[in-house]
Amino acid sequence: MKEISTNVLIGRNSFAKRITLPSVIILIITVVGPFAFLLYSSFFDWNLTVPAPPRFAWFYNFGLVFKDLRFWNAFKNTSVLMIAGIITQSILGLILAFLLNRNFRFKKLAIIILALPIMVTPVVLGFNWRIIYHEHFGPLNYIIRLFGGAGSSWIADPKLALFSIFLVDTWQWTPFVTLILLAGLQSIPRQVYEATDVDGATGWQTFWRITLPLLRPMFVLVVLFRTIWIFKIFDPVYILTGGGPGIATETLSLYTYVSWVKYWRVGYTSALALVQLVIMTVIAMIFVRKVMQRRRV
Amino acid sequence: MNMNDKKYEKFRQREKRKKLNNLFQNLLLTFFVALFGFPIYWIFIGAFKEKGEFFHFPPIFWVNNFSFENFTSALSLGGSKGVVDSLIVACIGTVLVVILALFAGYGLGRFKFGGPNLSFFVLSLLFLPPIIAVLPLFIIFRYLKIVDNYIALIWSYFLINLPFAIWLIKGFIEDLPEEIESAALVDGYSRFGAFRKVTLPLIIPGVVVSALFVFVFAWNEFLFALMFTRSNVRTLPVVLSELIGGHGIQWGELSALSLIALIPGVILVVFFQKYLVRGLTFGAVKG
Repeated sequence: MKEISTNVLIGRNSFAKRITLPSVIILIITVVGPFAFLLYSSFFDWNLTVPAPPRFAWFYNFGLVFKDLRFWNAFKNTSVLMIAGIITQSILGLILAFLLNRNFRFKKLAIIILALPIMVTPVVLGFNWRIIYHEHFGPLNYIIRLFGGAGSSWIADPKLALFSIFLVDTWQWTPFVTLILLAGLQSIPRQVYEATDVDGATGWQTFWRITLPLLRPMFVLVVLFRTIWIFKIFDPVYILTGGGPGIATETLSLYTYVSWVKYWRVGYTSALALVQLVIMTVIAMIFVRKVMQRRRV
Repeated sequence: MNMNDKKYEKFRQREKRKKLNNLFQNLLLTFFVALFGFPIYWIFIGAFKEKGEFFHFPPIFWVNNFSFENFTSALSLGGSKGVVDSLIVACIGTVLVVILALFAGYGLGRFKFGGPNLSFFVLSLLFLPPIIAVLPLFIIFRYLKIVDNYIALIWSYFLINLPFAIWLIKGFIEDLPEEIESAALVDGYSRFGAFRKVTLPLIIPGVVVSALFVFVFAWNEFLFALMFTRSNVRTLPVVLSELIGGHGIQWGELSALSLIALIPGVILVVFFQKYLVRGLTFGAVKG
């Protein structure tokens, strides 16, 4: 017996090293290189449109970021999308999960149709909703007018533009929330409900006291994943509004893009990117602590 | 007797309420499915509309003759270049990522190589907003003179796809008990032989799912493609975005091209719906 187990252990580490290292090296090069560059350039007053050479400026760029009203505008827009999105999608997702957690014909078909938006090419999604939102020929305004409404110009209206982005995000990601919560509902053993039935609990009591607490870990996942995804939202905003009208829908990612592609501010954009990296790292650490630990990483 | 009648009446009422409740829930669900399905339907129907049918009030919800004119003219408007380039980037990228991730996932999942720290490093990359990497990668690619080159795109997609695939495959490997390999090792297989003969066949579904996800991510990706390509390489999302922002309003062609762009994602949802949640939550929800 002993002989066998040592035989099994021989070459374990060197084999593991040989098969894992190629990927790790590629990742380190792809990540550490850019990160080092960001760190370096964020300390320089450096603009590609200005002929002057980069000038070492300590924390000048970080100061600029925090004084920049446009940064705070982007921060606010991203936060609004995040909070509104997470609340709406959680509630709607929960309703849909309950509706799906029954036995009925075409269940699989219903899930597939609902899940389609998740994997839609973001650029296609942007184009598609531009048609849907179209002031004159779009189906949305048509339906609103059928019911006596006036219709609006949606993405061109500064008051509605951010709401329109939120609507698209909700359309795309509510199904994702639904699928997570559905998985959670299906993992609750039937006996739990039988027990509450015997105890004479009403439907609402069961929902508040049993189902919701049992779904808690799933809600944690939903909040974390939606936070991460909305934090980096770019494609739909770029295609739908380009951050406009004005800067009404500019998100953090979009502002970073503009700051780089339109103004070619290397130092400032690097600082902007690093600020986002810090925020994201904090969120990622919470995620790793809370969620992945239970799965014995 | 009377008691039983009463009980029966109560039971019948309860059944009736249940039925009504069920009907209501079915109606509500149908409404939501229609609501969420509608935008996809709108692309589909748009791909077959004639130009005039887009600028019509009330909007046209159904077309009678399905002609493929939009598709042929979309492909000649740069669409075919987009499809081919997207295929090149996504296919090569997927093959490389899956091979690398298969081994790395095995190393991390089975042998716990590098301990939890290395695993956390890989996982944390999944949270990185891609926009952060755009500027430095662009400078690096320009220095290496590979901007507007397939290599730049395939390389930059490693950043998104390699950690994802490693993490997913690692999860599938952790689902298998180590003992099945020990048996093969005792039988005289080499480490690699045991992996190839015993483990690999068992995680093939996981590998296929990972590959499909990686393919769809590369196929759908927009930001890197927008930044790192000019005219030499033009993936489908870039072609689409330029047509959208262009002066001519070519909604028919755009819808046709959009429909083509949706194919990989739809395949993933329809045939691998079981793994959708698992993939998108990086394995946190087994589904």
